[in-house]
Amino acid sequence: MMFRKHQPPADDPMRDLPLVKAPESVWASIEAALNAGEQPRAARALGFRWWQPAVAFLVILIAAAVYWTSTRFNRRWEVVRLEGAPSIGLQRLGGTGLIAEGQWLETDGSSKAEIRVGAIGTVQVDANSRVRLVAARSAEHRLALARGRIRASVTAPPRLFFVDTSSSTAVDLGCAYTMDVDDAGNGQMHVTLGWVSLEWHGIESLVPAGASCRTRARLGPGAPFFDDAADSFKQALNEIDSGMRGTDALETVLRSARVRDTLTLWHLLLRVEAGDRRRVYDRMVALMPLPSGVSPDKALQLDRETLKHWREELAWKW
Amino acid sequence: MGASNATVVSLTEREITADLIEGCRRGEREPFRALYDAYKDKVYSICLYYFHGDRAAAADATQQVFLKLMTTIGQFRGTADFSTWLYRLVANTCLDGARRAKAREARLAKEVVLDTLPGGASQEQDLVRAQRARLVQEALSGLPPNFRLAILLRYFDDLSYEEMARVLRCSMGTVASRLNRAQKLLASKLEVLRNS
Repeated sequence: MMFRKHQPPADDPMRDLPLVKAPESVWASIEAALNAGEQPRAARALGFRWWQPAVAFLVILIAAAVYWTSTRFNRRWEVVRLEGAPSIGLQRLGGTGLIAEGQWLETDGSSKAEIRVGAIGTVQVDANSRVRLVAARSAEHRLALARGRIRASVTAPPRLFFVDTSSSTAVDLGCAYTMDVDDAGNGQMHVTLGWVSLEWHGIESLVPAGASCRTRARLGPGAPFFDDAADSFKQALNEIDSGMRGTDALETVLRSARVRDTLTLWHLLLRVEAGDRRRVYDRMVALMPLPSGVSPDKALQLDRETLKHWREELAWKW
Repeated sequence: MGASNATVVSLTEREITADLIEGCRRGEREPFRALYDAYKDKVYSICLYYFHGDRAAAADATQQVFLKLMTTIGQFRGTADFSTWLYRLVANTCLDGARRAKAREARLAKEVVLDTLPGGASQEQDLVRAQRARLVQEALSGLPPNFRLAILLRYFDDLSYEEMARVLRCSMGTVASRLNRAQKLLASKLEVLRNS
Protein backbone atom coordinates (compact mmCIF):
# COMPACT_ATOMS: atom_id res chain seq x y z
CA MET A 1 0.00 0.00 0.00
CA MET A 2 3.03 2.27 0.36
CA PHE A 3 3.10 5.20 -2.08
CA ARG A 4 0.01 3.94 -3.86
CA LYS A 5 -1.83 6.75 -5.61
CA HIS A 6 -5.55 6.98 -5.19
CA GLN A 7 -7.32 6.12 -8.43
CA PRO A 8 -10.24 8.48 -9.05
CA PRO A 9 -13.01 7.26 -11.35
CA ALA A 10 -12.57 8.11 -15.03
CA ASP A 11 -15.62 10.38 -14.89
CA ASP A 12 -14.40 12.12 -11.73
CA PRO A 13 -16.68 15.18 -11.36
CA MET A 14 -13.85 17.06 -9.60
CA ARG A 15 -12.29 17.51 -13.04
CA ASP A 16 -14.96 20.17 -13.59
CA LEU A 17 -13.53 22.36 -10.83
CA PRO A 18 -10.99 24.85 -12.20
CA LEU A 19 -7.78 25.86 -10.47
CA VAL A 20 -8.39 29.41 -9.27
CA LYS A 21 -5.59 31.96 -9.23
CA ALA A 22 -4.81 33.44 -5.82
CA PRO A 23 -5.52 37.20 -5.80
CA GLU A 24 -2.56 39.57 -5.66
CA SER A 25 -3.90 40.98 -2.40
CA VAL A 26 -2.80 37.80 -0.59
CA TRP A 27 0.86 38.40 -1.35
CA ALA A 28 0.42 42.07 -0.44
CA SER A 29 -0.82 41.05 3.03
CA ILE A 30 2.06 38.62 3.46
CA GLU A 31 4.53 41.30 2.41
CA ALA A 32 3.03 43.65 4.98
CA ALA A 33 3.77 41.04 7.64
CA LEU A 34 7.26 40.52 6.25
CA ASN A 35 7.91 44.24 6.31
CA ALA A 36 6.66 44.38 9.88
CA GLY A 37 9.54 42.16 10.88
CA GLU A 38 8.10 38.66 10.50
CA GLN A 39 11.07 36.30 10.16
CA PRO A 40 11.50 32.54 10.06
CA ARG A 41 12.04 30.88 13.41
CA ALA A 42 15.33 29.10 13.95
CA ALA A 43 15.37 25.36 13.37
CA ARG A 44 14.87 23.17 16.43
CA ALA A 45 18.25 21.64 15.72
CA LEU A 46 19.70 24.68 17.44
CA GLY A 47 18.05 23.56 20.65
CA PHE A 48 15.01 24.62 22.60
CA ARG A 49 15.13 28.02 24.22
CA TRP A 50 12.63 28.93 26.91
CA TRP A 51 11.94 32.27 25.25
CA GLN A 52 11.10 30.80 21.83
CA PRO A 53 7.38 30.29 22.50
CA ALA A 54 7.14 33.85 23.83
CA VAL A 55 8.89 35.25 20.74
CA ALA A 56 6.74 33.14 18.43
CA PHE A 57 3.64 34.36 20.24
CA LEU A 58 4.85 37.96 19.90
CA VAL A 59 5.59 37.53 16.19
CA ILE A 60 2.14 36.05 15.58
CA LEU A 61 0.62 38.84 17.65
CA ILE A 62 2.44 41.46 15.54
CA ALA A 63 1.41 39.74 12.30
CA ALA A 64 -2.18 39.53 13.49
CA ALA A 65 -2.07 43.18 14.55
CA VAL A 66 -0.66 44.22 11.16
CA TYR A 67 -3.27 42.18 9.38
CA TRP A 68 -6.06 43.43 11.60
CA THR A 69 -4.92 47.03 11.12
CA SER A 70 -4.61 46.72 7.36
CA THR A 71 -7.97 45.01 6.92
CA ARG A 72 -10.06 46.69 9.57
CA PHE A 73 -8.73 50.20 9.92
CA ASN A 74 -6.99 51.17 6.70
CA ARG A 75 -9.75 49.71 4.57
CA ARG A 76 -12.74 51.74 5.54
CA TRP A 77 -15.15 53.98 3.69
CA GLU A 78 -17.04 56.99 4.96
CA VAL A 79 -20.80 56.66 5.43
CA VAL A 80 -23.14 59.63 5.72
CA ARG A 81 -26.60 59.43 7.24
CA LEU A 82 -29.19 60.88 4.87
CA GLU A 83 -32.42 60.09 6.72
CA GLY A 84 -33.51 58.24 9.86
CA ALA A 85 -31.06 56.09 11.80
CA PRO A 86 -29.10 53.65 9.67
CA SER A 87 -26.70 51.32 11.50
CA ILE A 88 -23.23 49.93 10.88
CA GLY A 89 -22.95 46.65 12.74
CA LEU A 90 -24.59 47.31 16.07
CA GLN A 91 -23.83 51.05 16.04
CA ARG A 92 -26.48 53.61 15.11
CA LEU A 93 -25.12 56.18 12.68
CA GLY A 94 -25.58 59.74 13.91
CA GLY A 95 -24.08 61.96 11.23
CA THR A 96 -21.11 60.35 9.57
CA GLY A 97 -19.25 57.15 10.33
CA LEU A 98 -16.89 54.59 8.86
CA ILE A 99 -17.62 51.13 7.52
CA ALA A 100 -14.82 48.56 7.52
CA GLU A 101 -14.36 45.46 5.41
CA GLY A 102 -16.72 42.76 6.61
CA GLN A 103 -19.18 45.15 8.26
CA TRP A 104 -22.84 45.52 7.35
CA LEU A 105 -24.71 48.77 6.78
CA GLU A 106 -28.43 48.39 7.38
CA THR A 107 -31.32 50.79 6.88
CA ASP A 108 -34.83 50.38 8.22
CA GLY A 109 -38.08 51.57 6.65
CA SER A 110 -37.36 55.21 7.41
CA SER A 111 -33.62 55.56 6.94
CA LYS A 112 -31.18 56.13 4.11
CA ALA A 113 -27.40 56.48 3.94
CA GLU A 114 -24.68 57.28 1.46
CA ILE A 115 -21.40 55.38 1.18
CA ARG A 116 -18.37 57.20 -0.22
CA VAL A 117 -16.72 54.56 -2.37
CA GLY A 118 -13.10 55.51 -1.74
CA ALA A 119 -12.33 58.32 -4.18
CA ILE A 120 -14.25 56.89 -7.13
CA GLY A 121 -17.92 57.48 -6.38
CA THR A 122 -20.90 57.17 -4.10
CA VAL A 123 -23.57 54.59 -3.34
CA GLN A 124 -26.89 55.67 -1.87
CA VAL A 125 -28.46 52.95 0.23
CA ASP A 126 -32.25 53.27 0.27
CA ALA A 127 -34.68 52.21 2.99
CA ASN A 128 -34.96 48.55 4.08
CA SER A 129 -31.59 47.63 2.66
CA ARG A 130 -28.64 45.59 3.88
CA VAL A 131 -25.19 46.13 2.37
CA ARG A 132 -21.81 44.67 3.30
CA LEU A 133 -18.41 46.16 2.53
CA VAL A 134 -16.48 43.24 1.05
CA ALA A 135 -13.27 44.89 -0.19
CA ALA A 136 -12.00 48.46 0.02
CA ARG A 137 -8.74 48.30 -1.91
CA SER A 138 -7.35 50.46 -4.67
CA ALA A 139 -7.80 47.69 -7.24
CA GLU A 140 -11.07 46.29 -5.88
CA HIS A 141 -14.00 48.26 -4.47
CA ARG A 142 -16.64 45.66 -3.66
CA LEU A 143 -19.99 45.70 -1.89
CA ALA A 144 -22.51 42.92 -1.34
CA LEU A 145 -26.20 43.79 -1.49
CA ALA A 146 -28.23 41.27 0.52
CA ARG A 147 -31.54 43.06 0.06
CA GLY A 148 -33.02 46.45 -0.74
CA ARG A 149 -31.98 49.11 -3.23
CA ILE A 150 -28.76 50.96 -3.95
CA ARG A 151 -28.06 53.83 -6.36
CA ALA A 152 -24.44 53.75 -7.47
CA SER A 153 -22.58 56.50 -9.27
CA VAL A 154 -18.97 55.75 -10.13
CA THR A 155 -16.35 57.67 -12.09
CA ALA A 156 -13.43 55.33 -12.52
CA PRO A 157 -11.77 53.06 -15.05
CA PRO A 158 -13.81 49.90 -15.75
CA ARG A 159 -13.71 46.91 -13.42
CA LEU A 160 -12.83 48.69 -10.21
CA PHE A 161 -16.26 48.70 -8.56
CA PHE A 162 -18.32 45.54 -7.97
CA VAL A 163 -21.62 44.78 -6.29
CA ASP A 164 -22.30 41.14 -5.41
CA THR A 165 -25.81 39.81 -4.96
CA SER A 166 -26.89 36.20 -4.62
CA SER A 167 -27.86 36.15 -8.29
CA SER A 168 -25.16 38.28 -9.98
CA THR A 169 -22.11 40.46 -9.67
CA ALA A 170 -22.50 43.95 -11.14
CA VAL A 171 -19.21 45.04 -12.66
CA ASP A 172 -18.93 48.76 -13.21
CA LEU A 173 -17.75 49.83 -16.64
CA GLY A 174 -17.98 53.58 -15.79
CA CYS A 175 -21.59 54.27 -14.96
CA ALA A 176 -24.54 55.12 -12.75
CA TYR A 177 -27.25 52.62 -11.94
CA THR A 178 -29.84 51.45 -9.45
CA MET A 179 -30.06 47.88 -8.26
CA ASP A 180 -32.89 46.18 -6.35
CA VAL A 181 -32.76 42.81 -4.64
CA ASP A 182 -35.59 41.16 -2.72
CA ASP A 183 -35.33 38.71 0.16
CA ALA A 184 -35.51 35.76 -2.24
CA GLY A 185 -32.41 37.00 -4.11
CA ASN A 186 -34.29 38.15 -7.23
CA GLY A 187 -33.55 41.63 -8.48
CA GLN A 188 -33.45 44.19 -11.22
CA MET A 189 -30.83 46.66 -12.39
CA HIS A 190 -31.53 49.88 -14.25
CA VAL A 191 -28.60 51.74 -15.82
CA THR A 192 -28.81 55.52 -16.18
CA LEU A 193 -25.29 56.27 -17.43
CA GLY A 194 -22.56 54.24 -19.13
CA TRP A 195 -22.45 50.44 -19.04
CA VAL A 196 -22.67 47.71 -16.43
CA SER A 197 -21.75 44.07 -16.86
CA LEU A 198 -23.83 41.61 -14.83
CA GLU A 199 -21.89 38.38 -14.36
CA TRP A 200 -22.78 35.06 -12.78
CA HIS A 201 -21.14 31.67 -13.27
CA GLY A 202 -20.05 32.29 -16.85
CA ILE A 203 -23.21 34.17 -17.86
CA GLU A 204 -22.66 37.82 -18.76
CA SER A 205 -25.26 40.50 -19.52
CA LEU A 206 -24.06 43.88 -20.77
CA VAL A 207 -26.48 46.63 -19.80
CA PRO A 208 -26.17 50.10 -21.38
CA ALA A 209 -27.77 53.37 -20.25
CA GLY A 210 -31.54 53.34 -20.70
CA ALA A 211 -31.74 49.59 -20.28
CA SER A 212 -32.59 47.25 -17.42
CA CYS A 213 -31.88 43.63 -16.60
CA ARG A 214 -33.61 41.22 -14.24
CA THR A 215 -31.65 38.79 -12.09
CA ARG A 216 -33.04 35.63 -10.57
CA ALA A 217 -31.83 33.45 -7.74
CA ARG A 218 -30.15 30.28 -9.09
CA LEU A 219 -30.62 31.49 -12.69
CA GLY A 220 -28.47 34.62 -12.74
CA PRO A 221 -28.98 37.66 -14.97
CA GLY A 222 -31.50 37.55 -17.78
CA ALA A 223 -31.15 39.31 -21.13
CA PRO A 224 -31.05 43.12 -20.86
CA PHE A 225 -33.82 45.18 -22.44
CA PHE A 226 -34.43 48.83 -23.18
CA ASP A 227 -37.02 50.46 -20.92
CA ASP A 228 -38.90 51.88 -23.91
CA ALA A 229 -39.43 48.43 -25.46
CA ALA A 230 -43.02 47.28 -25.98
CA ASP A 231 -44.73 45.87 -22.89
CA SER A 232 -45.47 42.63 -24.76
CA PHE A 233 -41.75 42.35 -25.57
CA LYS A 234 -40.76 42.81 -21.92
CA GLN A 235 -43.43 40.40 -20.67
CA ALA A 236 -42.38 37.69 -23.12
CA LEU A 237 -38.71 38.22 -22.27
CA ASN A 238 -39.58 37.82 -18.60
CA GLU A 239 -41.03 34.40 -19.38
CA ILE A 240 -37.93 33.37 -21.32
CA ASP A 241 -35.61 34.62 -18.54
CA SER A 242 -37.66 32.66 -15.99
CA GLY A 243 -36.78 29.47 -17.78
CA MET A 244 -40.14 29.02 -19.51
CA ARG A 245 -39.13 27.75 -22.90
CA GLY A 246 -42.41 28.40 -24.65
CA THR A 247 -42.21 29.06 -28.39
CA ASP A 248 -44.88 31.75 -28.06
CA ALA A 249 -42.73 33.93 -25.82
CA LEU A 250 -39.79 33.81 -28.21
CA GLU A 251 -42.10 34.47 -31.13
CA THR A 252 -43.50 37.57 -29.37
CA VAL A 253 -40.02 38.86 -28.60
CA LEU A 254 -38.85 38.40 -32.17
CA ARG A 255 -41.99 39.88 -33.71
CA SER A 256 -42.05 43.02 -31.53
CA ALA A 257 -38.29 43.68 -31.58
CA ARG A 258 -37.04 47.01 -32.94
CA VAL A 259 -33.56 47.76 -34.22
CA ARG A 260 -32.27 48.80 -30.79
CA ASP A 261 -33.78 45.65 -29.30
CA THR A 262 -30.96 43.76 -31.00
CA LEU A 263 -29.36 44.37 -27.58
CA THR A 264 -31.76 41.77 -26.20
CA LEU A 265 -31.60 39.50 -29.24
CA TRP A 266 -27.78 39.43 -29.18
CA HIS A 267 -27.92 38.14 -25.60
CA LEU A 268 -30.70 35.66 -26.44
CA LEU A 269 -28.61 34.25 -29.27
CA LEU A 270 -26.26 32.87 -26.60
CA ARG A 271 -29.02 31.51 -24.40
CA VAL A 272 -31.78 29.98 -26.52
CA GLU A 273 -31.79 26.31 -27.43
CA ALA A 274 -29.74 25.47 -30.51
CA GLY A 275 -32.93 24.90 -32.48
CA ASP A 276 -34.14 28.47 -31.86
CA ARG A 277 -30.79 30.14 -32.47
CA ARG A 278 -31.33 30.40 -36.21
CA ARG A 279 -34.68 32.20 -35.69
CA VAL A 280 -33.06 34.79 -33.43
CA TYR A 281 -30.20 35.23 -35.90
CA ASP A 282 -32.58 35.69 -38.85
CA ARG A 283 -34.57 38.35 -37.00
CA MET A 284 -31.39 40.22 -36.03
CA VAL A 285 -30.16 40.23 -39.61
CA ALA A 286 -33.58 41.39 -40.82
CA LEU A 287 -33.47 44.30 -38.39
CA MET A 288 -29.89 45.26 -39.15
CA PRO A 289 -27.79 43.72 -41.95
CA LEU A 290 -24.83 41.66 -40.86
CA PRO A 291 -21.75 43.94 -40.74
CA SER A 292 -18.69 43.11 -42.80
CA GLY A 293 -16.29 40.83 -41.03
CA VAL A 294 -19.05 38.83 -39.32
CA SER A 295 -19.40 35.36 -40.78
CA PRO A 296 -22.94 33.88 -40.48
CA ASP A 297 -21.52 30.43 -39.78
CA LYS A 298 -19.22 31.65 -37.04
CA ALA A 299 -22.00 33.76 -35.53
CA LEU A 300 -24.28 30.72 -35.38
CA GLN A 301 -21.45 28.66 -33.88
CA LEU A 302 -21.22 31.38 -31.17
CA ASP A 303 -17.58 32.07 -31.94
CA ARG A 304 -16.44 34.44 -29.22
CA GLU A 305 -14.53 36.94 -31.40
CA THR A 306 -17.25 37.03 -34.06
CA LEU A 307 -19.96 37.75 -31.50
CA LYS A 308 -17.84 40.42 -29.90
CA HIS A 309 -17.26 42.16 -33.25
CA TRP A 310 -20.96 41.91 -34.13
CA ARG A 311 -21.95 43.36 -30.75
CA GLU A 312 -19.59 46.29 -31.21
CA GLU A 313 -21.21 47.08 -34.55
CA LEU A 314 -24.75 46.68 -33.21
CA ALA A 315 -23.98 48.91 -30.25
CA TRP A 316 -24.01 51.96 -32.55
CA LYS A 317 -27.80 51.57 -32.61
CA TRP A 318 -28.23 50.88 -28.86
CA MET B 1 21.06 33.44 -3.97
CA GLY B 2 21.90 33.18 -7.62
CA ALA B 3 20.27 29.82 -8.10
CA SER B 4 17.24 30.93 -6.15
CA ASN B 5 16.82 34.04 -8.28
CA ALA B 6 16.67 31.94 -11.41
CA THR B 7 13.75 29.90 -10.13
CA VAL B 8 11.47 32.70 -9.07
CA VAL B 9 9.26 32.33 -12.14
CA SER B 10 7.27 29.16 -12.89
CA LEU B 11 8.87 27.01 -10.26
CA THR B 12 7.68 23.42 -10.13
CA GLU B 13 7.65 21.15 -7.11
CA ARG B 14 10.64 19.22 -8.39
CA GLU B 15 12.69 22.40 -8.48
CA ILE B 16 12.19 23.14 -4.82
CA THR B 17 15.61 22.44 -3.52
CA ALA B 18 17.31 22.45 -0.19
CA ASP B 19 18.99 25.72 -1.20
CA LEU B 20 15.63 27.39 -1.67
CA ILE B 21 14.33 26.24 1.69
CA GLU B 22 17.62 27.22 3.27
CA GLY B 23 17.16 30.70 1.77
CA CYS B 24 13.73 30.90 3.38
CA ARG B 25 15.20 29.89 6.73
CA ARG B 26 17.62 32.79 6.46
CA GLY B 27 14.63 35.09 5.96
CA GLU B 28 15.40 35.90 2.32
CA ARG B 29 12.44 37.27 0.43
CA GLU B 30 12.99 35.86 -3.06
CA PRO B 31 13.14 32.15 -2.19
CA PHE B 32 10.02 32.65 -0.12
CA ARG B 33 8.28 34.37 -3.04
CA ALA B 34 9.35 31.47 -5.26
CA LEU B 35 7.75 28.96 -2.90
CA TYR B 36 4.67 31.12 -2.70
CA ASP B 37 4.39 31.38 -6.50
CA ALA B 38 4.77 27.62 -6.88
CA TYR B 39 1.96 26.73 -4.50
CA LYS B 40 -0.30 29.77 -4.11
CA ASP B 41 -2.94 28.80 -6.68
CA LYS B 42 -3.28 25.23 -5.40
CA VAL B 43 -3.44 26.39 -1.80
CA TYR B 44 -5.94 29.15 -2.64
CA SER B 45 -8.12 26.80 -4.70
CA ILE B 46 -8.24 24.19 -1.93
CA CYS B 47 -9.17 26.89 0.60
CA LEU B 48 -11.70 28.49 -1.77
CA TYR B 49 -13.60 25.27 -2.39
CA TYR B 50 -13.20 24.18 1.22
CA PHE B 51 -14.79 27.44 2.42
CA HIS B 52 -17.77 27.09 0.03
CA GLY B 53 -16.51 29.63 -2.50
CA ASP B 54 -15.95 32.39 0.09
CA ARG B 55 -13.10 34.35 -1.50
CA ALA B 56 -12.38 36.44 1.59
CA ALA B 57 -12.07 33.33 3.79
CA ALA B 58 -9.88 31.64 1.15
CA ALA B 59 -7.60 34.66 0.92
CA ASP B 60 -7.32 34.85 4.72
CA ALA B 61 -6.55 31.14 4.98
CA THR B 62 -3.95 31.27 2.17
CA GLN B 63 -2.25 34.17 3.89
CA GLN B 64 -2.25 32.31 7.21
CA VAL B 65 -0.76 29.21 5.60
CA PHE B 66 2.17 31.11 4.12
CA LEU B 67 2.74 33.17 7.26
CA LYS B 68 2.82 29.93 9.26
CA LEU B 69 5.16 28.46 6.66
CA MET B 70 7.48 31.42 6.99
CA THR B 71 7.57 31.35 10.77
CA THR B 72 7.98 27.60 11.09
CA ILE B 73 10.13 26.69 8.12
CA GLY B 74 13.02 26.15 10.51
CA GLN B 75 11.21 23.04 11.70
CA PHE B 76 11.13 21.49 8.23
CA ARG B 77 13.91 18.91 8.23
CA GLY B 78 13.47 17.48 4.76
CA THR B 79 12.53 14.02 6.00
CA ALA B 80 9.17 14.34 4.25
CA ASP B 81 8.29 16.03 0.95
CA PHE B 82 7.97 19.76 1.24
CA SER B 83 4.49 19.60 -0.26
CA THR B 84 3.33 17.15 2.43
CA TRP B 85 4.54 19.53 5.08
CA LEU B 86 2.88 22.51 3.38
CA TYR B 87 -0.46 20.71 2.95
CA ARG B 88 -0.45 19.82 6.63
CA LEU B 89 -0.43 23.58 7.29
CA VAL B 90 -3.27 23.94 4.76
CA ALA B 91 -5.30 21.18 6.43
CA ASN B 92 -4.80 22.64 9.93
CA THR B 93 -5.73 26.12 8.74
CA CYS B 94 -8.84 24.92 6.94
CA LEU B 95 -10.06 22.80 9.85
CA ASP B 96 -9.38 25.60 12.36
CA GLY B 97 -11.09 28.12 10.10
CA ALA B 98 -14.07 25.83 9.66
CA ARG B 99 -14.54 25.55 13.41
CA ARG B 100 -14.58 29.33 13.73
CA ALA B 101 -16.79 29.90 10.72
CA LYS B 102 -19.21 27.04 11.22
CA ALA B 103 -22.15 29.36 11.70
CA ARG B 104 -21.56 30.96 8.32
CA GLU B 105 -21.38 27.75 6.33
CA ALA B 106 -25.05 27.40 5.54
CA ARG B 107 -25.23 30.89 4.11
CA LEU B 108 -21.96 30.70 2.20
CA ALA B 109 -22.96 27.49 0.50
CA LYS B 110 -25.43 29.58 -1.43
CA GLU B 111 -22.83 32.21 -2.35
CA VAL B 112 -20.53 30.11 -4.48
CA VAL B 113 -18.25 32.15 -6.70
CA LEU B 114 -16.60 30.85 -9.83
CA ASP B 115 -15.49 33.76 -11.95
CA THR B 116 -12.10 32.61 -13.17
CA LEU B 117 -12.87 29.80 -15.54
CA PRO B 118 -10.39 29.84 -18.40
CA GLY B 119 -11.98 30.95 -21.67
CA GLY B 120 -13.10 28.25 -24.07
CA ALA B 121 -13.73 28.33 -27.78
CA SER B 122 -17.24 29.73 -27.37
CA GLN B 123 -19.44 31.32 -24.78
CA GLU B 124 -21.77 28.33 -24.96
CA GLN B 125 -18.93 26.01 -23.95
CA ASP B 126 -17.95 28.40 -21.17
CA LEU B 127 -21.51 28.41 -19.92
CA VAL B 128 -21.76 24.63 -19.87
CA ARG B 129 -18.43 24.34 -18.04
CA ALA B 130 -19.42 27.01 -15.55
CA GLN B 131 -22.71 25.25 -14.82
CA ARG B 132 -20.94 21.94 -14.31
CA ALA B 133 -18.39 23.56 -12.00
CA ARG B 134 -21.16 25.27 -10.02
CA LEU B 135 -22.94 21.96 -9.47
CA VAL B 136 -19.75 20.23 -8.34
CA GLN B 137 -18.94 23.10 -6.00
CA GLU B 138 -22.42 23.02 -4.51
CA ALA B 139 -22.24 19.25 -4.04
CA LEU B 140 -18.77 19.56 -2.52
CA SER B 141 -20.08 22.15 -0.05
CA GLY B 142 -22.47 19.55 1.29
CA LEU B 143 -19.71 17.09 2.25
CA PRO B 144 -18.47 16.87 5.86
CA PRO B 145 -15.24 18.92 6.37
CA ASN B 146 -12.92 15.89 6.62
CA PHE B 147 -14.30 14.38 3.42
CA ARG B 148 -14.16 17.72 1.63
CA LEU B 149 -10.56 18.29 2.61
CA ALA B 150 -9.50 14.78 1.60
CA ILE B 151 -11.06 15.02 -1.81
CA LEU B 152 -9.62 18.50 -2.45
CA LEU B 153 -6.10 17.45 -1.45
CA ARG B 154 -6.34 14.40 -3.64
CA TYR B 155 -7.65 16.36 -6.61
CA PHE B 156 -5.43 19.45 -6.52
CA ASP B 157 -2.12 17.74 -5.79
CA ASP B 158 -2.72 14.06 -6.39
CA LEU B 159 -1.15 13.09 -3.08
CA SER B 160 -0.55 9.40 -2.40
CA TYR B 161 -2.35 7.63 0.46
CA GLU B 162 0.82 7.79 2.51
CA GLU B 163 1.26 11.51 1.89
CA MET B 164 -2.38 12.20 2.67
CA ALA B 165 -2.14 10.15 5.84
CA ARG B 166 0.73 12.37 6.99
CA VAL B 167 -1.14 15.52 6.05
CA LEU B 168 -4.38 14.49 7.74
CA ARG B 169 -2.67 12.71 10.66
CA CYS B 170 -4.59 9.48 10.22
CA SER B 171 -3.94 6.00 8.88
CA MET B 172 -3.76 5.13 5.19
CA GLY B 173 -6.81 2.95 5.68
CA THR B 174 -8.74 5.93 7.00
CA VAL B 175 -7.61 7.98 4.01
CA ALA B 176 -8.78 5.31 1.60
CA SER B 177 -12.10 4.98 3.38
CA ARG B 178 -12.66 8.74 3.48
CA LEU B 179 -11.88 9.17 -0.20
CA ASN B 180 -14.11 6.31 -1.18
CA ARG B 181 -17.03 7.52 0.90
CA ALA B 182 -16.46 11.14 -0.15
CA GLN B 183 -16.62 10.19 -3.82
CA LYS B 184 -19.80 8.21 -3.37
CA LEU B 185 -21.40 11.01 -1.37
CA LEU B 186 -20.32 13.60 -3.95
CA ALA B 187 -21.76 11.52 -6.77
CA SER B 188 -25.09 11.08 -4.98
CA LYS B 189 -25.34 14.80 -4.15
CA LEU B 190 -24.55 15.66 -7.76
CA GLU B 191 -27.27 13.33 -8.91
CA VAL B 192 -29.79 15.07 -6.65
CA LEU B 193 -28.67 18.52 -7.83
CA ARG B 194 -28.81 17.55 -11.49
CA ASN B 195 -32.32 16.21 -11.08
CA SER B 196 -33.60 19.19 -9.10
